[in-house]
Amino acid sequence: MNLRSALKPGFVGGIVVVYLSAIGMVERFQDRNVITGLVGLGVVLMLVAFAITSYTAARKSDSSLLTGVAVGFISGAFVAIVTMGFEGLINAGLDVRGMFVSITPGLLETLEFGLNPVVGAFMMVVASTAVGAVSGVLVGLEYHLRSAVVFAIGITLLMSLGEPILRVTLGNLQIPTGWLYELGGLTIAGTIIVLALAFGLRWWWMSRADTRREAAAQMPEATRRTWGRASLMAAIVALVALPWIVGPFVSDVLGTVGLYVLLGLGLNIVVGYAGLLDLGYVAFFAVGAYAAAIFTSPASFLVTEEGQQFAEAGFTNLWVALPFVVIIAVVIGAAIGAPVLRLRGDYLAIVTLGFGEIIRTLVLSDWLSPYLGGAQGLTRVPAAPPSSFDLRNPQHIYYLILAFSLIAAYISYRLVDSRVGRAWAAMREDEDVAEAMGISVVRYKLLAFAMGAGVGSLGGVFFAAKIGSIFPNSFGLQVSINVLAVIILGGIGSIPGVIVGAAALVGLPELLREFGEFRLLIYGAILIAIMIFRPEGLLPNKRRQRELHEGQDLAAVDLTKEGPS
Amino acid sequence: MSDAILSLRHVSASYGPVRALDDISIDVNEGEIVCLLGSNAAGKSTTLRTILGMTRANAGEIVFDGERIEGLTTPEIVSRGLTMVPENRRLFGKMSVKENLEIGANLRDDKAEIQEDIERVFSLFPRLKERIRQRAGTLSGGEQQMLAIGRALTARPKVLLLDEPSMGLAPILVEQVFETIQEINSQGTTIFVVEQNAHMALSIADRGYVLQTGSIVLEDTAANLLEHPKLSDAYLGEME
Ligand SMILES: Nc1ncnc2c1ncn2[C@@H]1O[C@H](COP(=O)(O)OP(=O)(O)O)[C@@H](O)[C@H]1O
Ligand SMILES: [Mg+2]
Repeated sequence: MNLRSALKPGFVGGIVVVYLSAIGMVERFQDRNVITGLVGLGVVLMLVAFAITSYTAARKSDSSLLTGVAVGFISGAFVAIVTMGFEGLINAGLDVRGMFVSITPGLLETLEFGLNPVVGAFMMVVASTAVGAVSGVLVGLEYHLRSAVVFAIGITLLMSLGEPILRVTLGNLQIPTGWLYELGGLTIAGTIIVLALAFGLRWWWMSRADTRREAAAQMPEATRRTWGRASLMAAIVALVALPWIVGPFVSDVLGTVGLYVLLGLGLNIVVGYAGLLDLGYVAFFAVGAYAAAIFTSPASFLVTEEGQQFAEAGFTNLWVALPFVVIIAVVIGAAIGAPVLRLRGDYLAIVTLGFGEIIRTLVLSDWLSPYLGGAQGLTRVPAAPPSSFDLRNPQHIYYLILAFSLIAAYISYRLVDSRVGRAWAAMREDEDVAEAMGISVVRYKLLAFAMGAGVGSLGGVFFAAKIGSIFPNSFGLQVSINVLAVIILGGIGSIPGVIVGAAALVGLPELLREFGEFRLLIYGAILIAIMIFRPEGLLPNKRRQRELHEGQDLAAVDLTKEGPS
Repeated sequence: MSDAILSLRHVSASYGPVRALDDISIDVNEGEIVCLLGSNAAGKSTTLRTILGMTRANAGEIVFDGERIEGLTTPEIVSRGLTMVPENRRLFGKMSVKENLEIGANLRDDKAEIQEDIERVFSLFPRLKERIRQRAGTLSGGEQQMLAIGRALTARPKVLLLDEPSMGLAPILVEQVFETIQEINSQGTTIFVVEQNAHMALSIADRGYVLQTGSIVLEDTAANLLEHPKLSDAYLGEME
């Protein structure tokens, strides 16, 4: 092993930990227990940073254990020296907090593991070296073992981080949680049980992989289809039961995730299937929300002009309004699509970006404020009848969103392998030749745009119904970008990808709420990491994966097993 | 000629200020193989693009099957029975062989008939059937040309337009491709093929035209053209 090769990752690890400490993240995270009484989240954060740097360095080295140890040692030493330095400065009576606002006694205590500075520094080096050694050993392990270890640690962390939801959920299911959770973290016994269970399950699952594959290969087509149906049904049953298991708070988050699934599925048709980069998708979301509000709110201009005759209930109820809203959105989608769809690539992206902004400006404008409410927005969007199905109740509207998401997912699924889906794929690959083959490129683009608009407007309708009031600033560029990020993260063109992407991008930040301003930092870091390590997204569409890894697998690829995904 | 299934009458086309076709007239009769010869940049591809409406003719008329088509969109023209095998094949490389063939039939509705046409392509090119699920981009050059022709055939064209089918292929494969073109023709499809490889094209064609910087400079039966003193592969571009 070459010591120099360990130097750089070692310093990187050290600097990352010092950085996370200096911005206050470690201290804030330390308030959250991971294993109550033993490890806080701040310490875990440091250890994870050490582990990742050691692991990546060790993987590239011939002598992984030595490299891991060296990297861990250097990182830890760096952190320890910086910590002692600050300690010294403070002891010397210097006011470091003038510049480093987050260097608090509490932080230093964490970095010294609550011991005296010298012993603490020693402990830091011991801990980081140990983490480095473990990472080095992990690299050398046989694949199954390593995978099981990483899986077990990951699951344990997730179980601990998910405590707020999981404890409530288990409580709702009448499962006692005292043995597992304590003061917001796992108990020591709970940790051991979770680690062991996760490790064992993963090990067992992988050791049976071959048998399973064989069984699957020999399974007759009919049986396989039955299995597929059964698991789909099970998934749907689970989705239906979900809000009652997780309780109202998480149901609300699920509703928001569902909205993004719906929006993601719509945009996926435009970007993923037809290959049109639309940066103004929020426009259709806004059209849906505003149209729904105008049709149903008693405060809408439709009502006042009719001499208060609808004042009680609004112009009409949500169910009646729904199809009209979608039709309006589709028409608007086609109308703004028609002139711009002759543009290609980047130009289209810029123009759609413009449309998104125009819609936002329009709803904000004084000119249209008699109709759209201007900056005051439109309020008093009523829930749909019957009142026993209360759309303000997160556990109820969830079902509405779920139902429409399922429909949108089914339509998307059927589209991929249809004539339309193939035409889109051809267009995406070579527009000129597609045209030469008789594919009416403009028409197919328009179709994609209109379908995307329709689905996006549904999202808007449910958004309006869910929160009851809509304001212009809910319809900014951020929405377009978030939806696009959902489908890119999940894997462009992939339906399961949209679901995973929405859960990760929308659900995760909601659950990280207690970390306040660090939320976006974590979110950004996770996004960057995923895009570096999995540029094709979390659950990629197979065809897209091939497009991205062009040239890497020129051998014949058997597409038999590829269903639309 | 009144029995021409496809005729160009005094057609001109340009790319901006650059005139690519200057008053050309071509007739293709039903059942014939007609070739259009010309060197690089003579305007051969432009001729095909203009027929398909991908480049607009700015003068003249194009008549197909008794009706003028120069104002129609490409998909409309294709749906009437004119399909092209593009220059350099231009397959959908990320799609499977089967999907490429299905794209050719994208304008048509009848599943059974499409399946029948795909089978017909496979009987013409058994090698493609063996590779039905393979990515088109991973096929060899010869197989790609077969697939490009197959893709055009599943559109059931009355007239098949081919843009330099010999380009980039080894001589033995060129011969095979031209034999196949002849076979397709004998099964009832009219062929209009554009080539630089004059000898090869004339050996299967009934008649030929020679294009030079956007103008037709010669037209005759294939037999006569083959005998023509000025016409040889090497000097095609420098002909007076
Ligand atoms: N898209 C284009 N834009 C501008 N000029 C073009 C374009 N395509 C072809 N040309 C020009 O038109 C002429 C004829 O080209 P082309 O029909 O491709 O010739 P050929 O197929 O016989 O080699 C050439 O001078 C070429 O440079
Ligand atoms: Mg050409």
